[in-house]
Amino acid sequence: SVTPLSMSQPSNNNRKRSSTSSSSSYTSPPSSTTTTGGPHFSLMKKAKSQAVSCSFDNKNGFQLDNNNNNNNINSASQDPSSMIVDPTENDAVRASSAGGFTANLGRKKATPPQPAKKLVIKLLKAKPTLPTNFEENTWAVLKTAISSIFLKQPDPCDLEKLYQAVNDLCLHKMGGSLYQRIEKECESHISSALQSLVGQSEDLVVFLSLVHKTWQDFCDQMLMIRGIALYLDRTYVKQTPSVRSLWDMGLQLFRKHLSLASEVEHKTVFGLLKMIESERLGEAVDRTLLSHLLKMFTALGIYPESFEKPFLECTSEFYAAEGVKYMQHSDVPDYLKHVEVRLHEEHDRCLLYLDASTRKPLVATAERQLLELHITAILDKAWILLIFIFKFHNINTIGFSQPLTSGFTMLMDGNRTQDLRRMYTLFSRVNALESLRHALSSYIRKTGQGIVTDEEKDKDMVYSLLEFKASLDKIWEESFSKNDVFCNTIKEAFEHLINLRQNRPAELIAKFLDEKLRAGNKGTSEEELEGTLDKVLVLFRFIQGKDVFEAFYKKDLAKRLLLGKSASIDAEKSMISKLKTECGSQFTNKLEGMFKDIELSKEINESFKQSSQARTKLPSGIEMSVHVLTTGYWPTYPPMDVRLPHELNVYQDIFKEFYLSKYSGRRLMWQNSLGHCVLKAEFAKGKKELAVSLFQVNAIQLKETVEENASTTERVFQDRQYQVDAAIVRIMKTRKMLSHTLLITELFQQLKFPIKPVDLKKRIESLIDREYLERDKSNPQIYNYLA
Amino acid sequence: MRRASSKKASSNSTTSTNSSAMDLFRSATGKAATKELERIDQLFYSYSNESSGMIDPEGIEYLCSDLEVEHTDVRILMLAWKMQAEKQGYFTLEEWRKGLKALHADTIVKLKKALPELENEVRRPSNYVEFYSYAFRYCLTEEKQKSIDIESICELLELVLGSQFPQQVDLFVQYLKTQVDYKVINMDQWMGFYRFCNEISFPDFNNYDEELAWPLILDNFVDWVKSKQS
Repeated sequence: SVTPLSMSQPSNNNRKRSSTSSSSSYTSPPSSTTTTGGPHFSLMKKAKSQAVSCSFDNKNGFQLDNNNNNNNINSASQDPSSMIVDPTENDAVRASSAGGFTANLGRKKATPPQPAKKLVIKLLKAKPTLPTNFEENTWAVLKTAISSIFLKQPDPCDLEKLYQAVNDLCLHKMGGSLYQRIEKECESHISSALQSLVGQSEDLVVFLSLVHKTWQDFCDQMLMIRGIALYLDRTYVKQTPSVRSLWDMGLQLFRKHLSLASEVEHKTVFGLLKMIESERLGEAVDRTLLSHLLKMFTALGIYPESFEKPFLECTSEFYAAEGVKYMQHSDVPDYLKHVEVRLHEEHDRCLLYLDASTRKPLVATAERQLLELHITAILDKAWILLIFIFKFHNINTIGFSQPLTSGFTMLMDGNRTQDLRRMYTLFSRVNALESLRHALSSYIRKTGQGIVTDEEKDKDMVYSLLEFKASLDKIWEESFSKNDVFCNTIKEAFEHLINLRQNRPAELIAKFLDEKLRAGNKGTSEEELEGTLDKVLVLFRFIQGKDVFEAFYKKDLAKRLLLGKSASIDAEKSMISKLKTECGSQFTNKLEGMFKDIELSKEINESFKQSSQARTKLPSGIEMSVHVLTTGYWPTYPPMDVRLPHELNVYQDIFKEFYLSKYSGRRLMWQNSLGHCVLKAEFAKGKKELAVSLFQVNAIQLKETVEENASTTERVFQDRQYQVDAAIVRIMKTRKMLSHTLLITELFQQLKFPIKPVDLKKRIESLIDREYLERDKSNPQIYNYLA
Repeated sequence: MRRASSKKASSNSTTSTNSSAMDLFRSATGKAATKELERIDQLFYSYSNESSGMIDPEGIEYLCSDLEVEHTDVRILMLAWKMQAEKQGYFTLEEWRKGLKALHADTIVKLKKALPELENEVRRPSNYVEFYSYAFRYCLTEEKQKSIDIESICELLELVLGSQFPQQVDLFVQYLKTQVDYKVINMDQWMGFYRFCNEISFPDFNNYDEELAWPLILDNFVDWVKSKQS
């Protein structure tokens, strides 16, 4: 670092000082010494009295010649008082003034007060003239001094004389030529210093140290020279706008000759880049040296062009190569960790030696090479990550055929979500989140497709889907920082995959619920059940053909209610109300009706037991209970011809009599296919206990068959057809005439289930055939309603 | 060759309705016209079946050979159209009168001469739609029949559109014979195809839009052609 030089601002100090020493005052002429001349001399006196003591670092070899008449200066000169000075600053240089003042004060002679004298000033007849060769001689002194400074040799002249010399020349309006001479002298020394670096040292680090030394020396030397010529800086330079300050002049000379010794500049840059590369490759380097040299570049104003530009190119190449290499050899989690480390390093680099302005482009370059250019490859490899997570949960990942790399053996779930989180964070830095999101969407669809379309795994489908969704939600929370857009992506992808296969998912979800709501689910607490119902509802929400679900759910609910197999009526009702919230009351009206019927039936059975008909006509020992079902609420059961034993018919009639006596105007139809007869024959006692309640006959309809399910689905489709026809007729009746495209649009708005335009066309043509509609004669795109 | 057995010399028909219709004719028109009408009737009787009082398929065959036209020729269909004949293979007296009167033909020779002009008349775009639709209805032989089997439709298409849109007909017939979705064609589909030939550019189908009100069978047809082409 540059050793500072301390200077005084004598005029300011002195002005403020109220001093009895007239030799130090500016305004009043000194009384202790006589003046024989005009103002010039008093000024010169002032200059003299401004002798300042300075101390210098011995290594520069500059020593004050102390044999002047100022003993006090001697003592002052040994006082190593120095303060820090910023070499680029022109003003505000402060003195170690102690020495100066003691010097000045030392001059005072004690004088007794004297009576006022009259002073007579006589003007001289002629102006005082300068000595001959004044300029040359004065400059010679300065030149020697400057030279000594650069050559690091002792100079015979003392500082005071040097300041005086500068002052003298400036005062006599020779500032301009002095400036030029100084410049020329400096230039020759600077250029030779830089030239001496040419061809120096093969070893780059050694070379850089030499450069550093040269720069350091230059700074010190320039400062000193500027110190000597401070007056010039303050007066001539300030007054001449086209002229640089001495410090700047020195910098400009250094810059000029550095660029002339181009080999030096390039070698320096090359050396710096090599050092940084070594550091990136893991070696320890001299960061201080780097820092200083980079500061040099900055000071010279060539940092962006000479250093930063090649540095960024170098960085780009380095990370381009590294990116490719690492991508080939490491798996994604490790790669991302490495990227993170590198980005930290580069950031630190800016704190430690690079200029702060480099940080932004540097990080951008690294990100680009390490991340941006590899997004696709990273994502491709990243499927491995997701598979790992899902495999960990035993989720079926059939349908995804990319090979798994090794390293799959031991996986902690936590690690992988962290890796995904790292990926998310890094990707967001290079605006690659969209790619990640897109890849996630593809992955969900592909995996989901495997779960949904594999017919052999149907019985596990709902469970797998629930697990799959739960895992995705977890990843969304922990790795994707609950990003809204990602949330939508998961939803859309799920909606897509669950509807890939028409009807079956809806059917399976209804069945899944049936299992859960059925009695016999030991060990499931109420809370757990509620939780499961909610999760299933999420899946249900994605289904487009909800009427298929309704048909199956209704069928299964009817069975549960009639057979008394519900695990908990509360749970059943809870599910209904969830469905109601989801789909509206229209969806659940009938289901609710079923519950009402069951409860009403209980009351009816009670009063039947008490009734006269039962008491009088029904044989004792017969326990009969009847479920009265309101048609319309319950699923339609195909009529079955079951011939009951005569007695049972009798009992049915007894009940019917009772019922119709209570509720007139109704029609009772026995659903014998739902009849269930438990016969307890105790042969020893010969008793028969008949409990006739309307259950499914086990003998006739054992398990529900595939045909039954198929027919349920078929009925839903049939029903849909009717609905479409009805809708078309309804719309056309209102509009009387309507274009084809508008009709299609209307239908899509009105119909609540998914349907293809092809199917709509079929129905329209069927209605044309049945003469409900016709095509308009003049415009075949328009249909007319035929009343 | 005329059917000798059914030749009747007088214009007196066996049924009374005919004679009152005759009176109407006579009174409505002038003497020359009456003469014409008489000859038309005579011509009718030379082909008609005695018991049914109509020209039946056999009679039509004779007529065709006298006209020197194949009975499968489209001109016979056009003649039927001119007569607005209702039942395929049969002409009633009314229909015969209507047709021949319009053609100003009271002899076989004149009738034969009238055929080319009839053809021109039919082929006029304004008439052709009507003729085309008539052709379909003409083939509905049963009481409540609304559609025609594929085989017959193919023949009909050849007959009626074969000269005008040979390539389209060819392709469509091919399609009809290979597909399995449709066993019959109804009027709507029949008419649709005519519109299709007239409006849609061939063979690229560039201006065909299946989201418009084209009958579904044509959507399927276009898909079939496109998949064949690729």
